[in-house]
Amino acid sequence: MRVELAGEVRTGRVVDLRDTSVDFDASAVVGAIRGDGPRAGDGPARPLAIDCPVPGPAHEHVGAIRTGMGLSLRPALADAARTRGHTPTQADELAAVRDRLSALDPPEIDLRSARRRVAETSDDAEELRERVAALRGRVQALRDAGDESGPAEAELASATRELSEVETERIAAEQALSRARNRAAENRERRRERLRLADRADNLCRDAREELARAVRPTFEDARQAVPTDSESPVSTALAVAHVADLDAPVVVGSGVDAFADGERLSEWFDAPVVRL
Amino acid sequence: MLLVVTYSQAARQTLRNVCNGHDEAVVQRFGRAVLLEATELGAFLALRLREKHASDVQIERTEAFNEFEDAPEEVRDAATAYEDRAHPSTPYTKFAVGTDHPAPDTMRDAELAGDTDR
Repeated sequence: MRVELAGEVRTGRVVDLRDTSVDFDASAVVGAIRGDGPRAGDGPARPLAIDCPVPGPAHEHVGAIRTGMGLSLRPALADAARTRGHTPTQADELAAVRDRLSALDPPEIDLRSARRRVAETSDDAEELRERVAALRGRVQALRDAGDESGPAEAELASATRELSEVETERIAAEQALSRARNRAAENRERRRERLRLADRADNLCRDAREELARAVRPTFEDARQAVPTDSESPVSTALAVAHVADLDAPVVVGSGVDAFADGERLSEWFDAPVVRL
Repeated sequence: MLLVVTYSQAARQTLRNVCNGHDEAVVQRFGRAVLLEATELGAFLALRLREKHASDVQIERTEAFNEFEDAPEEVRDAATAYEDRAHPSTPYTKFAVGTDHPAPDTMRDAELAGDTDR
């Protein structure tokens, strides 16, 4: 491994950063190991660059071991098993389910405007019906009184025409919404299938994790016995998982982890490079 | 009531959260679906779900079903007669043959009165 810090290069199986002027944060170092952010040589903005193998799946769980760390044992063991070449019996079915999932891409169907149009045309029609009824009454009253009803009759005729137009529009809007609802129902069938497949994939993943974790559990228990601390703490657990996993990338070991005397012993235990903080 | 059905894991999770927070608006839960009270609060919760998850949320309004208003007499009679059949293994299609009871195909294409669309 090759570590570049401001104006200095350190190489080797174990790199100790405890004597540097900068207080490096474990997650920043892990970020450098994973190659997140800017690359080496990007200039002074980058305080730390690490040239090392690309981390595998187990590194996510035990790539940084420090007091106060959290660890979910089963997923960590499952990924450790993967690094040892274990393949779960669910792999093929899971791949098939994921293929079908990615092939299902139902389009968005938005019925909002269709619903709004139905509501608006219904309101318009209702308003006009009331207006026509009122005008009819007025025309009748004028005729009964023997008054001039011409203008009112013209107004009634125009309102009646308008009502028939709005009614036509309302029917068209309802038919359009009905067609859109049928399309949405078909679309939802595909969404229902997608949900079913997603649940299936989750269950397969969980079963696969359980199976993989079981495969390396005895090795892990032995390693936990061999860790020279007698605690069940996440740090001891992580040390044991890191021993079980086949790690290529460096493991970051924070202060307060004193299970092994020195970096060399840690590196032997992990069978991987070590960065000490 | 308002029937809300979800069609994705995320929408289903939001539905659970909403129901947990608003028991007073929930009539009944069915996993990825729920019946909400036909109140403004029920509508508000349903619309929030649709805002967040768009096509992964279906909202329908349910109505009380009165078979004496909503279902034809021959359908009511057929249901009663079939559930009173002599041989439990007889499928309805066979049961209806040679009787006045409507065939399933006939019923399938006959919309209930007052039902605009589904």
